[in-house]
Amino acid sequence: MKTITAIAIIGLIGLASVSCSPERAALVEGKPGVQLWGENCMRCHNTPSPADFNDTEWSTVEMHMRVRANLTAKESEKIFEFLRSAN
Amino acid sequence: MKKIILPLLIIVFVGNLYAQQDSKPSKTQFMIRGYGSASFTLLNDEGEKESSFNTGNFAPIFLFKLSDKLMFETEMEFAYENGELETVLEYANVMYTLNDYMTIRAGKFLLPYGTFMERLHPSWINKLSSTPLGFGHDGIAPSSGVGVELRGAFNVSGSKFNYSLYSTNGPTLNDGSDEPEEAGILHFNNFEDNNNNKSFGGRIGFLPFTDSSTEVGFSFLNAKVGDTDSTYEDITASLIAYDFSFIKKINPLGGIIDIKAQYNKSIVDDASYIEVHDDGDEEEYTFANTSDSFYAQLSYRPTMSESKFFKNLEFVGRVSELNTPEGAEWESNINQKTFGLNYWLSWRSAIKVNYQITDGEGGHGGGLIDKKLFTIQWAFGL
Repeated sequence: MKTITAIAIIGLIGLASVSCSPERAALVEGKPGVQLWGENCMRCHNTPSPADFNDTEWSTVEMHMRVRANLTAKESEKIFEFLRSAN
Repeated sequence: MKKIILPLLIIVFVGNLYAQQDSKPSKTQFMIRGYGSASFTLLNDEGEKESSFNTGNFAPIFLFKLSDKLMFETEMEFAYENGELETVLEYANVMYTLNDYMTIRAGKFLLPYGTFMERLHPSWINKLSSTPLGFGHDGIAPSSGVGVELRGAFNVSGSKFNYSLYSTNGPTLNDGSDEPEEAGILHFNNFEDNNNNKSFGGRIGFLPFTDSSTEVGFSFLNAKVGDTDSTYEDITASLIAYDFSFIKKINPLGGIIDIKAQYNKSIVDDASYIEVHDDGDEEEYTFANTSDSFYAQLSYRPTMSESKFFKNLEFVGRVSELNTPEGAEWESNINQKTFGLNYWLSWRSAIKVNYQITDGEGGHGGGLIDKKLFTIQWAFGL
């Protein structure tokens, strides 16, 4: 058990150290809602069609999914702005 | 209970219809979502065959958005089992967004213990019709808890972290006084606490890549689990889980690859339990109360195929394992392999054809386990 935990911690620190850079931060910051919609929804389920709900319904789903899917505030804002604009 | 719930559902549904007809904007937003399924199963249990159409389940989710920061959500699950309608309150909690990085929840909520129960168990999301070993009834992984939780997510230089910290009533130790065959097992459905100790748990998730394709997570839960003023009062349980997720469209493979895995481990302090023999004699016994379970699932969907039919197909395979303590009445070592072929009718509705082989030994019945299960399930999200 201790070995598994140690490997996991070392792995996480290693991944964190190689994956952090200002360029990457800017890349993430500049992502549009449509891209975040494609990348994040499918982490658990198929990407929903924007047309399935109206603006008010998407705004209700937004709060539910932000918490359930651990979306950042900015991701959530951009994804649901896209869904409301494309429905 | 059912006499109250069903009329309440009808009132809420009709009320919602009337509310939607009113064109004036309302600050309070209300929505019914949910999911359900219907299935056919064919079971071969050591040569004995059973087949049945099943009514499946229906799980409505009610979302009440009271402001941009405040929301109440609840999910109930209805299923017809053993000749009667079973009703389960999956969760019911109120949440408040404190700032961009913190949301607080209170009530009954799905526990972020790994990812399967919190994110993947609904029938329209779960790519197979069954849950992996170690989850659900008699599982070693908790699914929900009553308490309070702080959670959030944030970016750090292009990587993403999410976290959850919670305190709940925690698991309860079955001391075997009512169910000797379950002595030492943990029960997680704890609406009322059996002692004054509150569990403390959490999960941290890390998404190292900018496309959010990969997530690794670590979860823990610690609690005293014995009844107050009993000999088990100081017995402590420590649970940990590791989870992994990778999902990405791979162009050379012409579709989406989805890998999910979770390892759960439960360690409960040693304790003495009483075994009552057929002749009425009692014997004290103990065992190292450590259990673990694991599952890994791989699926592939050829979304880049030119054929609409193939585009909607999905191939799934899962291996799963459960090991419960040697020397316990519920000792078991079980392996499971599940294969599935899904056809997606829409983004939230699939017909799943599954074949599952379960073998090993132990469990409540004792002896060898040799089961083969064929299932056709129609699952849908609402």
